[in-house]
Amino acid sequence: MDLSKSLEISAAAMRAQGTRLRVISENLANADTTGQTPDDLPYRRQVVAFRSIFDRALGAETVEVAGITEDPGQFDRRYEPGHPSADDEGYVLYPNVNTLVEMMDMREAQRSYEANLNAIEVARSMLTRTIELLR
Amino acid sequence: MDFSNLGLFKLISRRIDWLNDRQEVLARNIANADTPDYRPQDLRPFAEHMARAGGPTLSVAATHSGHIQPTASRTARPVSTADVNDVYETSPTGNEVVLEQQLIRVSETAMQHQLALSLYRKHVGMIRTALGRGAR
Repeated sequence: MDLSKSLEISAAAMRAQGTRLRVISENLANADTTGQTPDDLPYRRQVVAFRSIFDRALGAETVEVAGITEDPGQFDRRYEPGHPSADDEGYVLYPNVNTLVEMMDMREAQRSYEANLNAIEVARSMLTRTIELLR
Repeated sequence: MDFSNLGLFKLISRRIDWLNDRQEVLARNIANADTPDYRPQDLRPFAEHMARAGGPTLSVAATHSGHIQPTASRTARPVSTADVNDVYETSPTGNEVVLEQQLIRVSETAMQHQLALSLYRKHVGMIRTALGRGAR
């Protein structure tokens, strides 16, 4: 039945957005995670990419997380001579996480999540109304 | 008497089929709102769909009088989607889904679905009246 298919599609999208939110919170949590020693690299920002796939079992096109990759962007360099991982010149490498960007990404994920929830709600009410014809 | 052959019932059930399919396509668009290079799709208008479904249908070659022919309603079920050309904006990743636009279409579909179901119910009531049991 088509309506249950659209429920499944929206659910798959919500799952994908959930993964995205998880990665965003990992980034935010590790926004200040530096290396332990001067040679260690700090935490690298993770990025989620989506792709559209054909789900054979469902017979419909859904969405899934294509992969979680690392952001190759440059690390932040701060002068903190007292830090355990400071190099000879007294600089410490900080993760390439920009909290503002993460917040923006989080809002976008939330918006998409809500849109999918809305689509589920509508499909569900269409389904219920069809079933109510029996009464 | 086969109710599904009554003109209005036939029309309404096709309309509901079409609306269900449309809901699926719209759900797919919303699901892919953040997928790079995804282009939103929509169904061809209902009138066009009806014109196609009413046209010549495929039939199975029968070499024996006992061979069963498929029923007409089963043969014509083309769900033809088309890329949407009037997109509002394209994101830097090449995605063309605009959530607001899609949500408007979703609620439009839900409204039309409700209308079709109400008409169906009304029609059943009229038949009930004709049978003398009174419309509920």
